[in-house]
Amino acid sequence: MKTALRAEWAKFRTVRSTVLIPGVAILLGLGVGLLDVSSIDWTSTDPASLDPVSESFAGFQFAELAFAALGVLAISSEYGTGLIDTTFLAVPRRRTVYAAKIVVLAAFTLAICTVTTFTAFLLGQAVLSGHHASVSLGDPGVLRAVVCAAVYMTVVTLVGFAVGALIRHTAGAMAVMFGLVFLAWPVARAVEGISTLPSKLLLVNAAGALTAIRPITGPPAARTPSLALAAATLLGYTVLFLTTAYWRFRNGRR
Amino acid sequence: MLELREVTKTYGRTTAVDRLSITIHPGRVTGFLGPNGAGKTTTMRLLLGLERPDTGAALVNGRPYHALARPLQEVGALLDAGAVHPGRTARAHLGWLAAAAGLERSRIAEVLELTGLTGVAGRRVGGFSLGMRQRLGLASALLADPPILILDEPVNGLDPEGVRWTRDLLRGLAARGRTVLISSHLISEMALTADHLVVIGRGRLLADGPPDALGEGSLEDAYLRLTDQAVEYRAGDR
Repeated sequence: MKTALRAEWAKFRTVRSTVLIPGVAILLGLGVGLLDVSSIDWTSTDPASLDPVSESFAGFQFAELAFAALGVLAISSEYGTGLIDTTFLAVPRRRTVYAAKIVVLAAFTLAICTVTTFTAFLLGQAVLSGHHASVSLGDPGVLRAVVCAAVYMTVVTLVGFAVGALIRHTAGAMAVMFGLVFLAWPVARAVEGISTLPSKLLLVNAAGALTAIRPITGPPAARTPSLALAAATLLGYTVLFLTTAYWRFRNGRR
Repeated sequence: MLELREVTKTYGRTTAVDRLSITIHPGRVTGFLGPNGAGKTTTMRLLLGLERPDTGAALVNGRPYHALARPLQEVGALLDAGAVHPGRTARAHLGWLAAAAGLERSRIAEVLELTGLTGVAGRRVGGFSLGMRQRLGLASALLADPPILILDEPVNGLDPEGVRWTRDLLRGLAARGRTVLISSHLISEMALTADHLVVIGRGRLLADGPPDALGEGSLEDAYLRLTDQAVEYRAGDR
């Protein structure tokens, strides 16, 4: 396992996409977040009703798609080029290969995203403090929200990896991820007349609940899951997708 | 030593390998011949554990590939020279393989020098010609200095110097007791390189012996006679 981890890390850090994609994601995450908090119209906004944490994470809805791409490419590029054969020649135990890839991808993403979410939080609060609307890390729920934002992006990355392993084709897997992250929302919303449960089980709504520190009000409240359900949703997606993809990784041809 | 015991592999209704039994011995270059679609690549993939036999066993030194403790140290393989990430440099490609095999990094420079790639080691593989990719594939196969080599069309795309160099290298390795299995469609090249030939057609064994035992006349004539019978058999079968 140790040599497999070293090999996967060596693979991971020697392609440009590993640097470029998180780079773009960080720029989007921080930049859009800063734009968002800087452009608040304070004449019509009550600082008390504003969620200062989720406001500073506004850019992450773009960053998450970049991380989904990172996850997809970590495996689809090997199938696309045929390199996966060489990987299996070097490490014939597929379970070991699969585990090593996930460990490397998850550790890298979580590290990058933790730094990014804390930076986004601090930048956001620096702007908001000028309007007496900021909070600090010690305030209730704030640390949880910042950490959960990083965990959420790691979950999206791992789901991307699983979809890449299932579809084995970069463009196809990216289309699925786009649907899963963005397009599932209007679909679940369309059936809200019958049940709000599908909405509550969406990745984006789980993230919304976990990264907020003030109760969500108005119509969105109906589709916001509890913290426990949101955490279970993230775990559920990760386990379900990674397990299904493992089945194909292990038994599929190649 | 490489061994197939009564191996059958089917894909849907196509039988790629049909009750094939072969033993590839050390100390000689074994040439693996057969028409397109004869099952040569499938046979190599079965030996390397990339495909599972439906029945029978494909063994490396008496064990299936996936049971080898340090596979790269036991078998070096080149199946598809194009199977590299185009964005990775030649040195980085060998780097992750060396990490997987637990090798010293100094070995990377050695195989780069051996295959003549030192000057382009820092370039991305996407810009490599087929011949350069073949050299990188050979460098990967030789990286852990394994006693067994399985090479699918290793001289495809190489320049005459590269073809001569590969031939001398493989003959030298076999002379020192290594097991070398190479497939090729170039009969004239096989006549120069191989000590022993295995010919298959439609997944079945057609011949297994030294080149001059294949039949009358030139090696090409003998090969075409052998495989022509396989083709006739196939036509009559339908």
